[in-house]
Amino acid sequence: MIRGPVSAYPVLALLALVTLAPLAGLLGGGRLETADLAFWNSAYVWRALRFSLWQATLSTALSLAPAILVARALAHAGDFTGRAFVLRLFAVPLVVPAVVAVMGVVGVYGSQGWLPLGRSLYGLNGILLAHVFFNLPLAVRLLLPLWQSIPAHHWQLGEQLGFDVRQRWRHLEWPALREGLPGVALLVFMLCLTSFAVVLTLGGGPRSTTLEVAIYQSLRFDFDPPRAVILALLQLGLCVLVALATLRWQRLPEVEIDTAPILAGQHRRSRAALPLIMIAALFVALPLAALTLDALRGPALEMLGRPRLWRAAGISLAIGFCAAFVATLAGWLLLRTSADLARRGRAERAGWIETGASVVYVVPPLVLGTGYFVLLSPYVSPFDWVLPLVIGVNALMGLPFVIRCLGPALRQHQARHEWLCQSLGLRGWARWRWIDWPVLRRAFGLSAAMVCVLAMGDLGVIALFGSSDSTTLPLLLYQQLGAYRTDEAAVSAGLLLLLCLALFWLIERVIGGRDA
Amino acid sequence: MFSFTRFFAVALACLFAGVVSAAQPTLVVYTYDSFTSEWGPGPQVEAAFEKSCNCDLQLLGLEDGVSILNRLRLEGDASKADVLLGIDTNLTAEARATGLFAEHGLRMNSSALPESWQDDLFLPYDYGYFAFVYNRERLPDPPLSLRQLVEAGDGPTLLIQDPRTSTPGLGLLLWMKNVFGDDAATAWAQLAPRIVTVSKGWSEAYGLFLDGEADMVLSYSTSPAYHMIAEQDRRFAAARFSEGHYQQIEVAGMLKSSKQKPLAREFLQFMLGSEFQRIIPTTNWMYPAALPATELPPEFSDLIDPSPALLFDDQQVARERRGWIDEWLEAVTR
Repeated sequence: MIRGPVSAYPVLALLALVTLAPLAGLLGGGRLETADLAFWNSAYVWRALRFSLWQATLSTALSLAPAILVARALAHAGDFTGRAFVLRLFAVPLVVPAVVAVMGVVGVYGSQGWLPLGRSLYGLNGILLAHVFFNLPLAVRLLLPLWQSIPAHHWQLGEQLGFDVRQRWRHLEWPALREGLPGVALLVFMLCLTSFAVVLTLGGGPRSTTLEVAIYQSLRFDFDPPRAVILALLQLGLCVLVALATLRWQRLPEVEIDTAPILAGQHRRSRAALPLIMIAALFVALPLAALTLDALRGPALEMLGRPRLWRAAGISLAIGFCAAFVATLAGWLLLRTSADLARRGRAERAGWIETGASVVYVVPPLVLGTGYFVLLSPYVSPFDWVLPLVIGVNALMGLPFVIRCLGPALRQHQARHEWLCQSLGLRGWARWRWIDWPVLRRAFGLSAAMVCVLAMGDLGVIALFGSSDSTTLPLLLYQQLGAYRTDEAAVSAGLLLLLCLALFWLIERVIGGRDA
Repeated sequence: MFSFTRFFAVALACLFAGVVSAAQPTLVVYTYDSFTSEWGPGPQVEAAFEKSCNCDLQLLGLEDGVSILNRLRLEGDASKADVLLGIDTNLTAEARATGLFAEHGLRMNSSALPESWQDDLFLPYDYGYFAFVYNRERLPDPPLSLRQLVEAGDGPTLLIQDPRTSTPGLGLLLWMKNVFGDDAATAWAQLAPRIVTVSKGWSEAYGLFLDGEADMVLSYSTSPAYHMIAEQDRRFAAARFSEGHYQQIEVAGMLKSSKQKPLAREFLQFMLGSEFQRIIPTTNWMYPAALPATELPPEFSDLIDPSPALLFDDQQVARERRGWIDEWLEAVTR
C-alpha cells in the first residue's frame, strides 16, 4: 500500500484536469469571432446578469431574515416536543431534487394549489419561493450552532446584569451571529446564483432568465456555442468573485449540528417562538405534502407499469451510485494525505489540498458542461458520453461535501490512532479493517448518501446532453412538465422523492452502520 | 465507436425492463411532444404504420418544432433519428443548410395546400394558420386585429411560446414582423407586460390556458375544432385578425445518417397517404396537406377564415431569423 502523501497527488492532478480542461476549452476552443463579442454588450446579456444577481440577492435576504428568527426561536424555545422532528424536517430539503421541489411549490402556491398566491408563479415569484424552500431550512441549520457557541457564562452574566431582550441580542447574540452570518449568506447567495433547475422550470421565459439558464438556452435553443462560451465565462467570473469573498469570510459552521437546546434556565421563551417555528415547519412541509398527495392522486398504477419510467429510474440510480463512489473515493484519498501532512506539522499544505478539492464548487455544472461540449464535440458526440459526463460532474460537485463531512472525522481519527497503529505495526488491510473503517464508516455513509442523492436528483448537465437513451428521472420529469402532463409528472416526482429519501436512509445505514 | 451510453442503456434495459427484443428493424422519428401524446396523432399513426411495415416505429416527442432541429444539429451525424417530423417551412432553409437531410425521391400527387409544393428534401403533412384562441365567456370582446391586440394597454393577457424552441412561437415572431415591419420591436415591448409566460412548447402554453392562467393563447385557427368535436364545447374560438394570419406548413424529412433509408422513405410515403392524412384533422387539429377539403369534419367549416395568408420566403427567414430573435429577446426583456 502506498504510504504518505503520494496518493493525493494523482487525484489532485486528475481533479485539476477534469476541471481545468473544459475551462481551457471555453477560453481556447470556442472559436469566438468579433461578431460574437458584440453579444457581450447586448441588453439580453445584461438583463440575464442583472436578473441573476437580483434573484440571488432577494432569495438570500428572504431566506436569511426568517432563518435568523427561526434559529433564534429554536435556540430559545427549550426542549419542546417535536424539536428533533423539526430539525430533521429542515434537513429534508437538502436531499429533495430541485425539480421535485418546484412541483411541490406549484402544488401549494400555484393557481390550482392549496394556497394560491393569485399571481403567476412563473417568473420571479416562483423562483424566490423555491429558493427560500431550499435555503431557509439550510440557513437555520447552519445558524443554530452559532447560538450554541455562546458560552454559558455569558448568558449568566447577562442575567445578572438584568439584560432585556434587546440588550441580550445586542451584546450576546449578535456578536456570535456576526461571526458566521457572512459565510452562510455567501453560501446561500452562491447556491441561488448557480441554481439551474428551479429557474429552468419556473422562469417565465426570457424575462426571468439567469446566466446559468441562458447558457443552456444558447446551446439548446439557439445552437450557438460561441454565445454559450461567452455566457459561461461571465458566469464563471461572477462565481469566482463570490468565492473570493467567501474565502475572506470563510467561517462556515460545521454541517453536523448538535440538536441539544440551550441549557434550561438560560433563556426566556418568547411567546412568538413556537408559532414561528410552526410556520417555518409548515412552509417546508407543505410542498412535500402537496407533492405526495398529487403523486398518489396521479395515474400511479398506469405509470408504474411503463418501462420508460423504470429505465429512467435505473439510469438515475446508476448515476447516483457511481458519483457517490467516485466522490467518496477521491475525497478519502485526498483527505488521507492532508491528515497525514497535518499530523506531521505541515498544516498549510494540508489546508491547500482541502481547499483545492472544495474549490470546484466555484465552477457551475453548466459551465463545465459547456466546456466539455466545446472540447469534445469536434471528436465525439457528447450525447454518447453523457453518462460519464454527468457522473463526473456530479462527483465533482459532491466532493466539497465529502471533504467537509469526512475531513474532520479523518483528522481526529488519525491524530488519535496513528501512533497506536504504528507501535502495533498495523498496516494495510488489517489496519483498515480493524481501526479505520469502524471509526470512519459513519462519515463515509453520510458522504456517500449525500452525493448519491444529489447526483440522482440532478438536472444540470443531463438537460444539456440528455437523449432518449439516457433520460434520467429528473429529465423525464422535466419533459413531462414541458408537455404539460402534470399528473404524470407528479407520479415521477413522487417516485424520485421516494427513491432519494429511501436511498439516503439506506446508504447511511448500510455504510454507516446501525447507529448512524 | 465504443459508446458508454449505449452500453449503459442496454445493460440497464436488461436489468430493469426485462427482455430486449431486437427482431424487427426500428424506425426512429423525432417529433414534437403534442404529436406523440395519447390524444395526438402519434398512437394511431404508430398502429397504422406498424400494421404494414413489419417494423417498430418509435416516435420520440421532444418539446417543440424548433427544438427538434436544434437537437439534430447538436447531435449531427451521430443522431439516432431516421426521420424528422414537425419542423415547418420557416425552418426548411436552415434545415437544408445543415446538410443532414437526404433526398426523399417521392412525388406529391394530391396536394391540398394553397400553394404548389416542390422540395427535394421535405414533404408536407399538414398546414394551418396561427391564431390567438380564447374562451368566449371569459373574453366577450376579443381584439379584431393584431394591431389592436398590441396597442390596447389593458388588453387581454397572453400565453405565447418561445420562438427559439417552438414553431408557433417563431410563427408569431414572423407574424409580428410581417405586420409591424421595422416597428416590431416596439410592438413587442408594448405586448410584453401582458405576456404571462413564454413557454418552451405549445403543449405547456395550451395547458396553462385551459387551466385559466391567461385570456388568450397562441395556437391555431383550427384549435377550436378540438373543443367542438372532442368535447362538444363551443366556448372556445380563434380571434380573426384583419391583417390576416401567418401560415404554417409542417413538414418531414429523412436523414442522411439513417441506416433505414428504405423504411424511412416508406414512412414518408405513408405520411402522404389517405390513412395518415385522415388521422390529422381530429388529432393534430390542422388541415391535412394531401386530403381533399370535402373529407374534413363538418365542424371545420365553422372555423374562422384566416385569409389573407401571410408567409415569408424561407430563404429570407433563414437569413433574418437570428437577428429578429435577438431583437425580440431585447424587446421582451427590456
